[in-house]
Amino acid sequence: MKIFFTSFLLIFSSVLSAQTIISGTVRAKNGGTLPGANVYLKGTYDGASTDADGRFSFRTQKTGQFTISVEFLGYESHSEPLTLNGKDIKLALELMETFSKLDAVTITAGTFEASDKKQANTISSLDMITTAGAAGDVFGALQTLPGTTTNGESGRLFVKGGDSDESQTYIDGALVHTPYNSTAPNTATRGRFNPFMFKGTIFSTGGYSAEYGQALSSVLLLNTNDMPVQDQFDLSLLTIGPEIAGTKLWKTGAVTATLGYSNLQPYMNLVPQNFEWKKAPESAAAAISIRQKTGKTGMLKIYSSFDNGRFTLGQFDLDQDTMVDYGLRNGNFFVNTSYRTTIGENLIFSTSASFTNDRDKVNFDGNHFDKSLKGFHLKQTASREITEKITLRGGVEWFSRSLEQTFHTPADTFVNSYDINTMAAFTEAELYASKNFVTRVGARLEHNDYLNRSSLAPRLTAAWKLDETSQFSIAYGWFFQNPSDDYLIYTDKLNYERADHYTFSYQSSRNERTLRAEIYYKDYRNLTKQGQGEFYLPETYNNSGSGFASGLDIFWRDKKSIRNGDYWISYSYLDTKRDYKDYPEEAIPGFASKHNLAVVYKHWFDKIRSYAGVNYKYSSPRVYNNPNSPEFNGEKTIAYHTLDVSWSFLFKPNIIFYGAVTNLPGFKQEFGRRYSETPDDSGIYRSTAIVPGSGRFYILACFITFTKKGTENQLDKIQ
Amino acid sequence: MKTTLFTLTMLLASFAGMSQKNEYYQAMGETLSQYATCRTVEDFQALGNRFSMIAGNEKEEWLPLYYHAHCFIIMSFMEPSDAVKKDAYLDEAEKSVNKLVSIAPEESDVFALQAMLYTGRLVVNPMERGQQYSILSGQAIGRALGIDPSNPRARLIKLQNDMGTARFYGKDTGEYCSEAKELLAGWDNFSPKSRLHPAWGKDQAAEIVSGCK
Repeated sequence: MKIFFTSFLLIFSSVLSAQTIISGTVRAKNGGTLPGANVYLKGTYDGASTDADGRFSFRTQKTGQFTISVEFLGYESHSEPLTLNGKDIKLALELMETFSKLDAVTITAGTFEASDKKQANTISSLDMITTAGAAGDVFGALQTLPGTTTNGESGRLFVKGGDSDESQTYIDGALVHTPYNSTAPNTATRGRFNPFMFKGTIFSTGGYSAEYGQALSSVLLLNTNDMPVQDQFDLSLLTIGPEIAGTKLWKTGAVTATLGYSNLQPYMNLVPQNFEWKKAPESAAAAISIRQKTGKTGMLKIYSSFDNGRFTLGQFDLDQDTMVDYGLRNGNFFVNTSYRTTIGENLIFSTSASFTNDRDKVNFDGNHFDKSLKGFHLKQTASREITEKITLRGGVEWFSRSLEQTFHTPADTFVNSYDINTMAAFTEAELYASKNFVTRVGARLEHNDYLNRSSLAPRLTAAWKLDETSQFSIAYGWFFQNPSDDYLIYTDKLNYERADHYTFSYQSSRNERTLRAEIYYKDYRNLTKQGQGEFYLPETYNNSGSGFASGLDIFWRDKKSIRNGDYWISYSYLDTKRDYKDYPEEAIPGFASKHNLAVVYKHWFDKIRSYAGVNYKYSSPRVYNNPNSPEFNGEKTIAYHTLDVSWSFLFKPNIIFYGAVTNLPGFKQEFGRRYSETPDDSGIYRSTAIVPGSGRFYILACFITFTKKGTENQLDKIQ
Repeated sequence: MKTTLFTLTMLLASFAGMSQKNEYYQAMGETLSQYATCRTVEDFQALGNRFSMIAGNEKEEWLPLYYHAHCFIIMSFMEPSDAVKKDAYLDEAEKSVNKLVSIAPEESDVFALQAMLYTGRLVVNPMERGQQYSILSGQAIGRALGIDPSNPRARLIKLQNDMGTARFYGKDTGEYCSEAKELLAGWDNFSPKSRLHPAWGKDQAAEIVSGCK
């Protein structure tokens, strides 16, 4: 017995002492050594991490067949079989880099992406809010990016030599028919939407995906916030009026309701205005936003708003030589819904729909002009990841737009209207050849029942990653858009307008510094021309217009060099001419300026918890037409300068004070001249300068958030 | 003789069954003991790797995942400036934290760790993430303290968050000293469920107290 036991122990200990030393190196395939990789025998506790030179070594007492595994962040795990028989083993292991779209090359040609998720963003959602001069206007903030031209008398987006109606805005995939507030002619507008609503923004200034049509120049894609994180009540007090908002969460959803009222009268009593307001702009708005999770991956978003605004402005009528009133009442109802769900592993369905009912009632010198727009958009898309390197996307869309204009003079009533249905289908493939090369190929087919025309638009983009920090992209595509309402209301004998985009872009990002340079060429054709006939006759209009735009855009952002400071510089050079509208010949359009510069600086003062912003913008002189001169568009405006400042002070975690002044130094701003319709007795067209509403604009605000305080109360909110 | 042999066989059989568990306890014990010697990001990465390996063998245990995430959160705090790396470490930690929330939702320390993860996210970019992640971190702490109000690590993280906020708002952090002293004094009254359960944090509490006059 004793012998048996001893021999057993002997055998057992001999097993114990059968020790193998496994050592070797771990390298990246086509790369250097990998320090910190995890090397171990599967199913055991024997393993080691590689040292600074990528070497590892460990002992094991196991014998037999095993699997050795290597894991490292950012690399594909690797395993291989191993026979342990007491003999030492040396291994040279290699890992493949993981293919991840997050650090793979991205298509940047023409695109500015803003979201809080990725660090590598060129601009973030917060930037949209804190940019001085924008005063919380999404479109205002975008006008500090290259490719845009500031038109102070409009406030709308003018992108890469395109007119403002060549840009479209989408919220959660659905078209926004009326993104801007209604204003009087030659007064600047703002966007209808609060930038705090959005978690991410993609501003594409050309060469965008086949998913987006009906835009010749740019698309702005706004993605709304997902679930709010807590119940809260917000009170915003602004110099132009108050706003309240309440948010309530439940297990799988949330609702936010907002009420706002604004009236510029008290402000205008204090600050002298260039315009003669008979009734200062006043508006009341209500909005509701609902979030509902369905199943594991579904998310339904509904946003609905109603706003009502009015003002009366006294304008000098150059023909009658007297002041006349321009009064406007606008009612805007908007619903935007989207639903997104993932089926199985990698099939994503998205449905988006929007409906707009917008009504303008204008009183102008005893004449009434009513405009009623109903817009509808429905889109269904499906996206499937075939492999991690191939994604297919496709979808169908239906746009409907109906417009009715009624013009009442004391003597007569004229009614014009049109209904247009556009059906579209698109398909697109995104193919990664490797982490360093991607192409996106797509096509878009549209049919318009009013014009009875179809279009097929190819789109192609590609991007190469040159090294870890820099990449090169190209974008090419055809873009179609219906002629503007101004023409369609009188005729259906027109064709789509078309622009072809060629964009070459270089971007280098390192250490929170980004440089981007882009050159582009746009070829416009089939632009609508208004001939010599009467404006209400269909035969007055044709598609013989054309034009081009080319330019260079430079963007430099540096969040690193100045501690707590962050700045960007945008410069755009634009060369463009076009023959459209009632132009007698090809000419530089009035909205284009050759040189645009924006310098934006923000600084965080931690001692006083304040975020200060200052920006300077410059636009070189634009042209305008003087009917007294034989040369078309032969006059030049003065150059545009503005210097805006803003200050946000975080008083308490839930109280923020905000103040901003636009055009602080009071630069003289003039946007050309307005002329009389008919010459006076001496044969001269009389004119007056187009100026902004006031030399400077001041805004003061206080934002207060109330929440249930105390950690216990937070408990029931976690799902 | 027969009985002895039988007993021995039985013993060996149960030993083989036990050995996997014993190996687990031994590996955990050894790896935990290395915490004290970790100084650099690389040290914590190696340690995190060990926990990851153990977690792979012991799918139903929450502790290896807990320490794996803990190591990677510490790495993110230690990384001096590279925001992309900080986020990559936290992504790795978040995978384990998400698993922890589903396999061990009754553990106070799991949510204390989740709060630490959210604070880590906040630190990467306080200007842009402050609002969202301070709320998330606060909610996670609330949940940890809701499960066990006496958990000293949950209290420590809450204290660190509160002091960070106070410092941000330029307030004197002196008012937290009494709370810190009380936490440190009572630290040892909390006994972990086993020698493998989380026990860290006393040094950090002591550090806060030493900063008090």
